[in-house]
Amino acid sequence: MHDTAVEAVKFIDLTWMNIAFLFTVGFIGGLVSGFIGSGGAFVLTPGMMSLGVPAAVAVASNMCHKFPKAMVGAYKRYKYGQVDIKLGLVMAASATVGVQAGIKIQEMILTRWGEAGSNLYVSVSFVAVLLIVGGYVFYDAWTAKGDGSADPVGALAKKLQGINLPPMIHFKTANVRISLWFTIPVGFATGMLAATIAVGGFIGVPGMIYVVGVGGLMSSATELVIAFLMGLGGTVKWAMHGMVDIRLTLIILAGSLLGVQLGAIGTTYVKEHMIKVVMGTIMVIVAVSRALAVPEYLVQLKVISVTPQVLSILSIVSFLTMCFALGVGAVIILGAMIKGKRAAEQAAYGTAPARVSSESYEHV
Amino acid sequence: MAARSEEKRKKLVLKTMLYGTITAILYAAVFSHADMITPYFAQGGYYAALPIATVFIFSFAHGAFAHNLWSTLGIEAVTKPATARSRTTVPRPAERPRPRLRVNA
Repeated sequence: MHDTAVEAVKFIDLTWMNIAFLFTVGFIGGLVSGFIGSGGAFVLTPGMMSLGVPAAVAVASNMCHKFPKAMVGAYKRYKYGQVDIKLGLVMAASATVGVQAGIKIQEMILTRWGEAGSNLYVSVSFVAVLLIVGGYVFYDAWTAKGDGSADPVGALAKKLQGINLPPMIHFKTANVRISLWFTIPVGFATGMLAATIAVGGFIGVPGMIYVVGVGGLMSSATELVIAFLMGLGGTVKWAMHGMVDIRLTLIILAGSLLGVQLGAIGTTYVKEHMIKVVMGTIMVIVAVSRALAVPEYLVQLKVISVTPQVLSILSIVSFLTMCFALGVGAVIILGAMIKGKRAAEQAAYGTAPARVSSESYEHV
Repeated sequence: MAARSEEKRKKLVLKTMLYGTITAILYAAVFSHADMITPYFAQGGYYAALPIATVFIFSFAHGAFAHNLWSTLGIEAVTKPATARSRTTVPRPAERPRPRLRVNA
């Protein structure tokens, strides 16, 4: 198996342009991940593939950078009191089952409808989930009060927390008591989405906010724990097949470790609803991007006919829209950070906000 | 007070330089032998431990460098007074009466 894997893997030649591209996307992806708990993978994987990296190597190398990045982000945000480890572990356990289910569905579709069918399924899942969930998050974010008050718990979460269905779990840090049976579907869906579109956080974070009833800041921070555990499991699997290109992983990691810490610091400067603003905005733009990719797969399945030139333009526009989504997310985060930092400095003349001692987490 | 903060800043710069140097050495070590290391790490099976161990080592060195770098640049977290969320957790049901050893007959 090992020899076959080595023969099958073609490692690309690295140019300064490739390195700069991977480092930059790694940095921006890290910034977004540190802030909303996930992101970056949806640009990095197709980005690497556009450089000529085989799909499996792109997925594996991306995953191999994702788990240490999530580990550093989770550690940093744990220091800020934003991580509920117990919730992360419970979610990760059910997400692992979800990943297996997602892989089985993918295999079934691949056997029945081939690669184009599988790609169509991935794109339609992307568009459907991101439009419905992302649209709601976006709507909720823009109608929320931006006055710094804590986000109120949604009606669904309130209702579910009121149902006494054993076993009941108390998540101490998040201050939520809910039945295990309501956290399992959220974790399962997170894993399934992770196996399908590689960004489980697009379900995990809104799920924790609207179903479990955890605040935006804590949900996004806890998502990093889930991403670390799932990413580590996935990396072991891919690395055992010899698919990790360590050069690509380390270049992306170089950017993302800088970004993820900046994003994590950023969460301490902004109001809680900013998590929803960034997440909703990115999700809606990514949905548009994936919608632009759908015609290509419909042509491959001979459902519609479109000229190759149009398909080529759609493909380029789709990728650029995805980069745009990540860029917009980063701009909103940096803008909110600068605004928050100024406000904190102004407040320093009155009641000074205490800086978290750098000594307390000096090793990461 | 100013001298103390200056001393702290100096310490921070030194730490940034130290972790930066370690990170640079690690990156130089891998990329100067990339042609040999890349296929070696991609042999699958037990060799999977190599890329995983590598990213852990890089994360500690580069992570510490990144943390100190942002601190040196004055970008540090601020602690805000926690905004209380409206209480949503349902109060635990009252404790059930403990079984008695004696029966009131």
